[in-house]
Amino acid sequence: MATEVVLPALGLTVEKGKILEWYKKEGDPVQKGELIFLVEADKVTTDVESPSSGILSKILIPVGVEVPILTVVAIITGPGEKLAAKSLTKGPQPSAAKTYEKPPTPVSPGGGLEGRATSLSDRGVVPAARRKAKEYGVDLSQILGTGPNGVILLKDVEGVLAGESKISAVKASTLARKLAEKEGVPLKEVQGTGIRGRIMQADVKAYLERPTATAAEPPLGSTIPMSTIRRIIARRMSESAFSAPHIYFFSEVWLDPLLQFREELLPVFEKHFNLRPSINDFLIKAVALNIADFPMLNAQLKGEQIHIMPEINIGLAVAMPEGLIVPAIPRADRVGLVEIVRQRSDLVGRAREGKLTLQEIERGTFTISSLAHYDITHFTAILNPPQSGILSVGKTDEKLVLVEGQVRVKCITRLGLSVDHRIVDGTMAADFLQHLKWKLEHPAFTFMSL
Amino acid sequence: MDDLCIIGAGSGGYVAAIRGAQYGLRVLLIEKDQLGGTCLNRGCIPTKCFIHDVKILTAAKRSPVMKGADRVSIDIDKMVSRKRQVVKTMVDGLAMIMKGHGVRVVQGQGELLAPGQVRVHTMDGRRSEESVKYVVLATGAKPGTPPFLSVDGHFVQTTDEALDPKDLPAKLLIIGGGVIGLEMTAIYRLLGSEVTILELLPDIIINEDAEIRKAMRMLMEQQGVKIHLEAKVKEVKIREEKVEIDYENQKGQVEKLQADRVLVATGRIPVLEGIDVQNLGLGMNEPFIKVNGKFETNLPGVYAIGDVVGGMMLAHKASAEAEAVLANILGQPKRIKPELIPRCIWGLAEVASVGLTEEEAKAKGRHVRVGKFPYMSNGAAQAMDDINGFVKIVGDSESGEILGVHMIGQHATDLISEAVTLMTLEATVEDFAEGIKPHPTLSETLMEAALDWSGILVHKLKQ
Repeated sequence: MATEVVLPALGLTVEKGKILEWYKKEGDPVQKGELIFLVEADKVTTDVESPSSGILSKILIPVGVEVPILTVVAIITGPGEKLAAKSLTKGPQPSAAKTYEKPPTPVSPGGGLEGRATSLSDRGVVPAARRKAKEYGVDLSQILGTGPNGVILLKDVEGVLAGESKISAVKASTLARKLAEKEGVPLKEVQGTGIRGRIMQADVKAYLERPTATAAEPPLGSTIPMSTIRRIIARRMSESAFSAPHIYFFSEVWLDPLLQFREELLPVFEKHFNLRPSINDFLIKAVALNIADFPMLNAQLKGEQIHIMPEINIGLAVAMPEGLIVPAIPRADRVGLVEIVRQRSDLVGRAREGKLTLQEIERGTFTISSLAHYDITHFTAILNPPQSGILSVGKTDEKLVLVEGQVRVKCITRLGLSVDHRIVDGTMAADFLQHLKWKLEHPAFTFMSL
Repeated sequence: MDDLCIIGAGSGGYVAAIRGAQYGLRVLLIEKDQLGGTCLNRGCIPTKCFIHDVKILTAAKRSPVMKGADRVSIDIDKMVSRKRQVVKTMVDGLAMIMKGHGVRVVQGQGELLAPGQVRVHTMDGRRSEESVKYVVLATGAKPGTPPFLSVDGHFVQTTDEALDPKDLPAKLLIIGGGVIGLEMTAIYRLLGSEVTILELLPDIIINEDAEIRKAMRMLMEQQGVKIHLEAKVKEVKIREEKVEIDYENQKGQVEKLQADRVLVATGRIPVLEGIDVQNLGLGMNEPFIKVNGKFETNLPGVYAIGDVVGGMMLAHKASAEAEAVLANILGQPKRIKPELIPRCIWGLAEVASVGLTEEEAKAKGRHVRVGKFPYMSNGAAQAMDDINGFVKIVGDSESGEILGVHMIGQHATDLISEAVTLMTLEATVEDFAEGIKPHPTLSETLMEAALDWSGILVHKLKQ
């Protein structure tokens, strides 16, 4: 019984995905639960498991093509089972077939692809290979046939599609190839201006010098389309702002004890673990411990039910040029500070490289958003749905404070707490914030077990 | 009304006319003399006819196996009439091609009145005016002579006269050691004249690679040509059927030379008859017409190509510019890369080159590696009994980019094509050796030079 492998629903907000890599080739045996491909959606990547055991008979969606979720991307057949004829063409789902975008055909002015493909009839191309080549816009003249007398077989075309074949479908000059290799330019994205669309050195240089999205601010009066990530942020933020009634609380935290505590710990951490904990790491741990005392701050409203989430996973907002991304450290209440530092630096690093998995983003149950590096005293934050609490962190200032009639200098940070008033009432929020303040001001006690 | 008017039917003009017609434009081609211009009538083709004849003579004379080789000589009249026949065949052929493409050819002096306005003065004294959309000025160049020299066509000649010789001067003095000077040297020296060159600059063919220049100088001197460098001609007098020349040598001393004839080869100047630069307000890059990368002048719809815009004065450069100007007129921008225009000299040995010299490449800060191979080690050159020559490839040691190729030796001008093609296709030095070369041929020298560049030379003693 053949199984259709679909692009899974990758999250509530995800509409489309792009396969970045097939871990298996056509004809490979696969086990249920084995990873078979890597998909990118909303700037995060996720490995997808095989839904059944058998032979990966047919890959319908090649690498790099964006398709809607639930599109059939491959067919798995049982041992000895033949593939149904219809599967050999496009996706069995008519809807998927419609939205399926072909990879762009290399532009070849003066000599169309069709013309050259036909002229190859003398050399010999098996019909299946010719059909496949036409479907994916592969230039047959660039393929070395491995069949008898150099006949181009289906597997030769598929080899090119899978990127295994050394013979690339892209025509480029030797110098252009060398430059592209040196600079890491994908030749498939370069527009060739040479004879018959050949990519020349100047084309690779032009690609390297092209204006990038982040290089220049858009000019006044211009209209720019929303990027996928911007669209998602827009939808989620308005959904949160207009469905969850927010209430805000602020408190000043005396930070000297924590700063002092960190100073004392730093040499130990560097010596034993080669790690440098930041103030954020202590915040994550303190918040997680505080949530353990106030489980309603770990709750999510689903319909008429309040789900108190089983794990305390603290998300940290990371700003990127395209928009905000919030990877979460799992079970931050249970793991030690060493582990928090490790996880935080790994997640933030991968967030900047766009290499997070969807799960790392979606598992968050509470968010911390810090603008401590800016000259911002305090700010209100919008909840990261479906979470019910978010902590905003302002800058740390030295302030003159009266202590028992004496003027003293203290380092002060303002923390802000936004909660979903449907779940959390003001008194509970105030309690939560006051307890957090106490925890941060008494670090030795709070972080007794590191 | 025609779409395109081209003034001058040389290597630039006639190619532009054919291309224009092929693209479906109505083309008017104005030529005051003969189709084919300098190249066909007074340059490339005539010299190559003569070079061919004198090379046969030389090969016969020097042959160690022929009998009676010492008595072989050339009939100058027949040599000239053969050249005329070749030129006529080519010019007639061009006329047929123009007719076939529907190009309207008018013989007369073209005059640019204003953008889109052209007047033709025909030989019989009539005048007619034409309105066109685009004008391409392809009027070419003519021999330029220093002001103190008067060309009388007999004692003092330019190539215009020297390519129609009636007799042979015993002593020929050539002013100018550039391409033209060297080619005329080859013809007259091999015919038996005693040749002396006076060159103003520190070396002959100054734009070529230093090693090529040195080899060329040695070869010329071996064959009895006297070369005076940094020689400033002061005065040329004709006295008792002889020409007397005063020149200042490298040390600033005035020396005297005597010759039967002087050939002035001091460069070429643009032909601007019919183009009133001042009145038209035409932008100049003195003494040439100024154009941008699309061969547009500052006047709307007026373009210029070939020798009249300066740069390398070569027929194939003009033809390439003709292709480009048509592409630009038709809105398909095309540019010419000067570093991909080959240079050829038919001197006592052939010289051919493309791209940067070793010195230029180093000055540009490129990581230069050089590969060389001598004709002496090539079987075909040995079999042909002429082993004077070598191939030099200048490549970027990091990327393998071919920066320049320089050759001296027989058939170098044919062999350079492979280098031009590879460079145009942006191949690397290793690509010269990647293709299998037919054996035994001179083309193997390029492969061997590439192997030398890669440090894996086959036919050379291990160093």
